[in-house]
Amino acid sequence: MRSFEDLNPIAVSVYFLLITVISMFTMDVFLILISFFGALTYFFSKNGLKNPKSHLFPLLLFAVTALINPFVSHNGATVLFVLNNNPITLESAIYGLAMAFMLTGVLYWFRLFSEIMTSDKLIYVFGALSPKIALLLSLSLRYAPYFAQQVRKVKAAQTALGLYKEDNIIDRVKGGMRIFSVMVTWVLENGIITADSMTARGYGIGRRSRFSIFSWKAWDVSLLALSGLLSIASVFLLRNNVFSFYPYFALPILNAKSISGYILYFLLSLLPTIIHAKEAAKWRFLQSKI
Amino acid sequence: MAFLTVENLTFAYPGKKEPAVKNVSFEIEKGEFALICGATGSGKSTLLRLLKRELAPLGEKSGQIRLSGADQASLSDEDAAYKIGYVMQRPEMQLVTDKVWHELAFGLENMNLSRAAIARRVSEMAAYFGIEEWYEKSVNDLSGGQKQLLNLAAVMVMQPEILILDEPTSQLDPIAASEFIQTVKKLNRDFALTVLITEHRLEEVVPVSDKMIVLHEGKALYSGAPEETITKLSADSPLLLAMPAAARLYHALSEKGVCPIEIKDGRRMIEERYNQNIRVLPSPASSTDTETALEFKNVYFRYDRHGRDVLSGVSFSVMTGEIYAILGGNGSGKTTSLSAASSLLKPYAGEIRVFGKKLKDYKNQSLFRNCLTMLPQDVQTVFLHNTVREELKGAEYGMNLLPIDFTRYFDMHPYDLSGGEQQLLALAKVLSTKPKLLLLDEPTKGVDAKTKQQLTSILKSLKETGMTIVLVTHDTDFAAETADKCAMFFRGQIVSVAHPRAFFRQNSFYTTPVSRMTRGIFENAVTIKDACDLCLQNGRKDEKRCSS
Repeated sequence: MRSFEDLNPIAVSVYFLLITVISMFTMDVFLILISFFGALTYFFSKNGLKNPKSHLFPLLLFAVTALINPFVSHNGATVLFVLNNNPITLESAIYGLAMAFMLTGVLYWFRLFSEIMTSDKLIYVFGALSPKIALLLSLSLRYAPYFAQQVRKVKAAQTALGLYKEDNIIDRVKGGMRIFSVMVTWVLENGIITADSMTARGYGIGRRSRFSIFSWKAWDVSLLALSGLLSIASVFLLRNNVFSFYPYFALPILNAKSISGYILYFLLSLLPTIIHAKEAAKWRFLQSKI
Repeated sequence: MAFLTVENLTFAYPGKKEPAVKNVSFEIEKGEFALICGATGSGKSTLLRLLKRELAPLGEKSGQIRLSGADQASLSDEDAAYKIGYVMQRPEMQLVTDKVWHELAFGLENMNLSRAAIARRVSEMAAYFGIEEWYEKSVNDLSGGQKQLLNLAAVMVMQPEILILDEPTSQLDPIAASEFIQTVKKLNRDFALTVLITEHRLEEVVPVSDKMIVLHEGKALYSGAPEETITKLSADSPLLLAMPAAARLYHALSEKGVCPIEIKDGRRMIEERYNQNIRVLPSPASSTDTETALEFKNVYFRYDRHGRDVLSGVSFSVMTGEIYAILGGNGSGKTTSLSAASSLLKPYAGEIRVFGKKLKDYKNQSLFRNCLTMLPQDVQTVFLHNTVREELKGAEYGMNLLPIDFTRYFDMHPYDLSGGEQQLLALAKVLSTKPKLLLLDEPTKGVDAKTKQQLTSILKSLKETGMTIVLVTHDTDFAAETADKCAMFFRGQIVSVAHPRAFFRQNSFYTTPVSRMTRGIFENAVTIKDACDLCLQNGRKDEKRCSS
């Protein structure tokens, strides 16, 4: 079995789509907390505690969102205190806190997504939607760094040519414009070679097939099926669950139906962590045998 | 029946009276390795492009091209694209996708093959070419040599019946170029693949070719086995300049019989036909003391804080009025040291002085005014305009220094010039800043043999005007013929410096073909002229006398 990040990129993308969409389009505090918990457990089990500075921004986002809401929104019946003739309410503070958990949770899901979905995986996913876009994306990913490198070379060459007379801003702006016009010609002229190389290899003759190094194995299909089923089931069970923030805060109702909904969503949010932990445990076991 | 037949092929570009290809006829058998050679502008590239239908230029064409008996025009689109593999000059520009595995699969995707079939073909090709190691890498992370091998593999994966290569190694360093040619030869030998190739550097290709076709001004002059074809060339033919050292020496000595093309044949020719009493050429007196033009003192540089030192304690000094050649492998820091000398990169330790003054004391870009200039490896980076005329506006000073008439190119786009012409145009441009110190990075890259010889004489005449020249090169021949001093760069340091004769004599492997050919016979012959002089001084064995 493979770890979560090595599973088929389409299955992985669908998973991320489901988990984030569900937690973004609801204000159900239980769902929000579950999603937040799931994101953080997977993040830390995958990355450990390295690079602690990278958590500063999410922390800041959390604090700002939680604090701003009660000062902006004055809905709610329970007044905690009055500031500059503005009532600060308990309900508004809770709502801010829920928003903060939701945004930070989604942010961590996105961070995981961008860590896992490298460029070639993204191209593969786009390819499933439109092969033309995927090829275009692949071409651009190939050219962007090459283009940037050429810009640096042209700049160095022109400096050594003495085209920058003085160290001042006007001269640098002029230089930038010169480089831009050079690069336009460069792209047009050299793009012909790339086009030749494409037609020489039969591009444009007829239908293209699509190759990738990613495949569908039992586990990829299981992940796709499992995440689909869990999301549909939990959304179905929780679709009519009642809760409110204003004027009075009321927790979502807990009954057999809703509790099973939460459990299913909890399982969904822990799927990556479970797959990750299982894989890690297997390795540890194998290593101890060796 | 011949596999590829070209009959009375004539082609003229639109609006041009003079055809680029004139009445060319030749035949290539299945499994033959055929080399087309000719000077720049002889119509080589046009001819090759005409053979690949998708790339054929527009214009007036007559004559016939037949592939295993079938007329080119009657081929289906699929056959035309897949049966003829084509690899061009510039390795980077031919790559289409961002990952190595995707590049390999690109052609097969166009063939609309099934996933499983693509996977099978791609994996066997990766294994054959030994590119499994970089299978999942980005193509941008590959070296030039690797990129060109990938281009070759990406064409071979489509299982073409004939492979056409248009100067595939012109942008590569000699080691990568040799590896590429050997790979093509291996394909030719292992699969009876028909190969049609043009090249600038013929030292490696001629010995592995079965047939050589000589083009001159669009006409096929000769076609036959390489030994015979070279023998037929006249001694003053510009084509000889690109030929293997043994063949050049054969013509320089006006020898008779079958022309030698390999090092071992050239060696036998000298041993059998010439006396070996005089073995050493006098070394020229070392230059008189002059002031230093460029000085490196323990210079250290790295691109990345956590990376390794690219320059690790470089020390050397170049005297005024000297041509100083820096040789060395890829990534040894040669180009980096030039960039440091022109203050484009800042070393983290050590000192660089230009004409005795520290680099950082040249304020306000004054370094680049009448003092120092650098011509980078990629000469296209110095072109700014759409015509040669505009390009040379204000560059009259540089133009007058070069014995070349640029006026006939005036209305062309600089990119449309040949590699050699581009190099000379760029040189004229950088010279117009009236430098006293000229830095050149790989001036012979992508340059044909004739222009290379021209460059040697240009640099020597610039030196006569008092200019100091530092050049970085892979080209041992060029360094031997041009430089006053050669320096070997290895792992961020200069490890040896000497006059070319002494330098290449000490080296056994990294040396000129002539030096390899005459090793043990003569002591310090490094250029054709050296070897020729020594042979003539010793005299022929059968003449029983010593001429001088």
